[in-house]
Amino acid sequence: MKQLVSRLKGRSELGLAALLGAFGVIVILDALSLNVPYSQADPVGPKTLPYIVGALLLVCAVLLAINVLRGGHGEAEGGEDVDLTHPTDWRTVVPLLGAFVLNIALIDTVGWVISGTLLFWGSVWALGSRRYIRDGIISVVMALGTFYGFYLGLGIKLPAGLLEGVL
Amino acid sequence: MSIVVGYIPTPEGEAALERAISEAASAKAPLVVVNSTRGDVFVDQRFVQSDAAQALDSRLAASGVEHILLQPMGGNDAADEVLDAAETHRADLIVIGLRKRTPVGKLIMGSTAQRILLQAECPVLAVKA
Amino acid sequence: METFDLLMQGFSTAATPINLLYAFIGVLLGTAVGVLPGIGPAMAVALLLPVTYSLEPTSAFIMFAGIYYGGMYGGSTTSILLNTPGESSTVITAIEGHKMAKSGRAAQALATAAIGSFVAGTIGTALLVAFAPVVVDFAVSLGDPSYLAIIVLALIAVTAVLGGSKLRGFSALGIGLAIGLVGADPVTGQQRLIFGQPLLVDGLDIVVVAVAIFAVGEALWIAAHLRRKPMQTIPVGRPWMGKQDWKRSWKPWLRGTAYGFPFGALPAGGAEIPTFLSYVTEKKLSKHPEEFGHGAIEGVAGPEAANNASAAGTLTPMLALGLPTNATAAVMLAAFIQFGIQPGPLLFDSEPQLVWALIASLFIGNTLLLLINLPLAPVWAKLLQLPRPYLYAGILFFATLGAYAVNLQTFDLVILLLLGLLGFAMRRYGLPVLPLVIGLILGPRAEESLRTSLQLSAGNISGLWSEPVAVVVYIIVALVLLAPLALKVIHRRRPESVLLGNIPQAPGETAATDDDGSVANGDANGDNDSDNDNDKDHDKDTGSVLPEHAGSSGGGPAEPAGRHRSDEIQNERERS
Repeated sequence: MKQLVSRLKGRSELGLAALLGAFGVIVILDALSLNVPYSQADPVGPKTLPYIVGALLLVCAVLLAINVLRGGHGEAEGGEDVDLTHPTDWRTVVPLLGAFVLNIALIDTVGWVISGTLLFWGSVWALGSRRYIRDGIISVVMALGTFYGFYLGLGIKLPAGLLEGVL
Repeated sequence: MSIVVGYIPTPEGEAALERAISEAASAKAPLVVVNSTRGDVFVDQRFVQSDAAQALDSRLAASGVEHILLQPMGGNDAADEVLDAAETHRADLIVIGLRKRTPVGKLIMGSTAQRILLQAECPVLAVKA
Repeated sequence: METFDLLMQGFSTAATPINLLYAFIGVLLGTAVGVLPGIGPAMAVALLLPVTYSLEPTSAFIMFAGIYYGGMYGGSTTSILLNTPGESSTVITAIEGHKMAKSGRAAQALATAAIGSFVAGTIGTALLVAFAPVVVDFAVSLGDPSYLAIIVLALIAVTAVLGGSKLRGFSALGIGLAIGLVGADPVTGQQRLIFGQPLLVDGLDIVVVAVAIFAVGEALWIAAHLRRKPMQTIPVGRPWMGKQDWKRSWKPWLRGTAYGFPFGALPAGGAEIPTFLSYVTEKKLSKHPEEFGHGAIEGVAGPEAANNASAAGTLTPMLALGLPTNATAAVMLAAFIQFGIQPGPLLFDSEPQLVWALIASLFIGNTLLLLINLPLAPVWAKLLQLPRPYLYAGILFFATLGAYAVNLQTFDLVILLLLGLLGFAMRRYGLPVLPLVIGLILGPRAEESLRTSLQLSAGNISGLWSEPVAVVVYIIVALVLLAPLALKVIHRRRPESVLLGNIPQAPGETAATDDDGSVANGDANGDNDSDNDNDKDHDKDTGSVLPEHAGSSGGGPAEPAGRHRSDEIQNERERS
């Protein structure tokens, strides 16, 4: 057990292989559950491609797992504004996701103007800005601007929520 | 016992640095040069890098004053960084540069300078460019 | 002659005030996203997809074309001034360009890049006009089996040739194909992978997927590795060139164009190889070889032209065959699907007005770009004063807004978040995103061709290779898959022909230290194509267990350098 743990340590990439494998299994199980009579007009049927894709995913999952266990690893993607010298900064990512989820939870009830303001303000805060007042003003302007921009410019009515009647 | 100066590569910053060097020389005190950035902008013209940083370093060396160049990138305001440096190095004097302002401009004196003036524990010398 | 008439009609459509306005907005946005690190043309087009729902498709595509070309111009500006090679392959431009800028010749570097981009873009678009109808004529004569073979080639080429690890490329392709399966099967109406969710019956909205992978995933990834240090920029005046600079630039522009277009048009060509070839050629032909590595203008002019010509080349398979070969083209194809326009060989017949207006707008956009980039370069550089939190928060904000506005469903936002996390994980573990998006777009079309082909042959599998073109294409597919192996054998026998490269580091501070600019040894020109593939291949097999590669990590003395280069190319590629 201990040995297994030490082997698994630092191999979070195995999770990715597991995910791929799960995708493969789901795709194949789903295809198996389809019930189609053979038809002359469509000899291939809706199951063939799912089988191919599922098999591809399973093979990739297995090869990836073996690769990782043998010490292989994927190169994290670089970028113009990406600094790979420090590890993943969860203290930025988690609040960012929090702002995102909060928006999903709120958008239909309180409306885009409020939830969008919180989304932008929360994201800016998560990314390290501490100029609360300036950030707040910009957030409100962005949310209000897009609300009216979409309504007047594109004819898309974003939810007004609590501010229904005010806007 | 030291002298702390907030430096940015502008006329005000240069003026402050000049004055701080001569203050340090006459007081025979070590000079702490603080050049900070919040690091949230792609390009920060007020942050001195590589070539310019070396030039600054050799200029300090040429002045014969004992010196340290601090370039914090901790995401804090410049005022915080200067005040922090003053505290850790137990500064006798903080030197900062100020822009000349029109009468209207007086009302919006730079908040960095203002915070240093109000919060510093030691005398602050404000130099005009 | 007919082509000329159609093009003129295209100009008359593209030159209406409203379309000119969209072209102008497009080039402005394109230049802006090219200049800003952390956001590229593919992401910009993805973010704009929802907003363009209510636009005339022609106007929307004119704007997208402007963004695509504009991204190239803006990218070269940052690679010269900041040494952070921006879009797909300004890596090579940065070598000499940044050196020129450091020695006080930023204005000339920017000028030769902008004018070279204009020249190459214009010639490349003219070549597109000449070749696309020919390709279409050929493609329309093909039956479903051949078309299926070509789609398979495109999928395999993008997955196996580009990027670092084949295994990871195929994993990404599999995920993309699986996402493409979601929804009701178009032939039988059978519901696949919907898990009882009625909202999934119509499939995942391609806009939501594109925004999730290109915008949300990327923004989260950057946020996790936020650079906290300001970059070093070189102040710039107005770009201009002296007589001597013109004399030294015009030939590299033309040679770069000649390299760029054909590579861009190939299914897995891209811009990296032609820019590299152009650099090597210019270095060899230059009368001032000693200047290379210290800021030779030819080393900016040639690669920059190759880069833009390849951008034009990429549009040939995209418009004529409906095959995307880079991220921006993939997102533009997604836009076609969103507008209910079927991409493929019939596009020129079914939407002649749109296609020719789009092509005409490329000429117009290119000219606009020259006009706004030459005098305004210092203004664009000012964009870099934008605080990072605002940029990345803005990307998330507009991604959310766009994905929500498509159907006004919170459900789409949940999908956006989940796929955004997938995009994040893929970047974390080195899965390239391009095969995913291309699998998503081409998967359903491959299935359709597969079914029609076998329907024609009454279920007999030999129907798949019943056409000569299909046979030829499958042979090419086999070559693409097997060539690296064969080359490895040759490579081992002839270790002397390897790449002796020293290409500067990837974006960032390290590159500023030193690069002597010596990129390849003498015969690199002829050989480096194969060496290139080979090196990439080694790279992907680092630690891989694909049986055929096991234990074959040997290589020439220069392998680390080559590996390094392909790493970098891969990084660039995936980001574009």
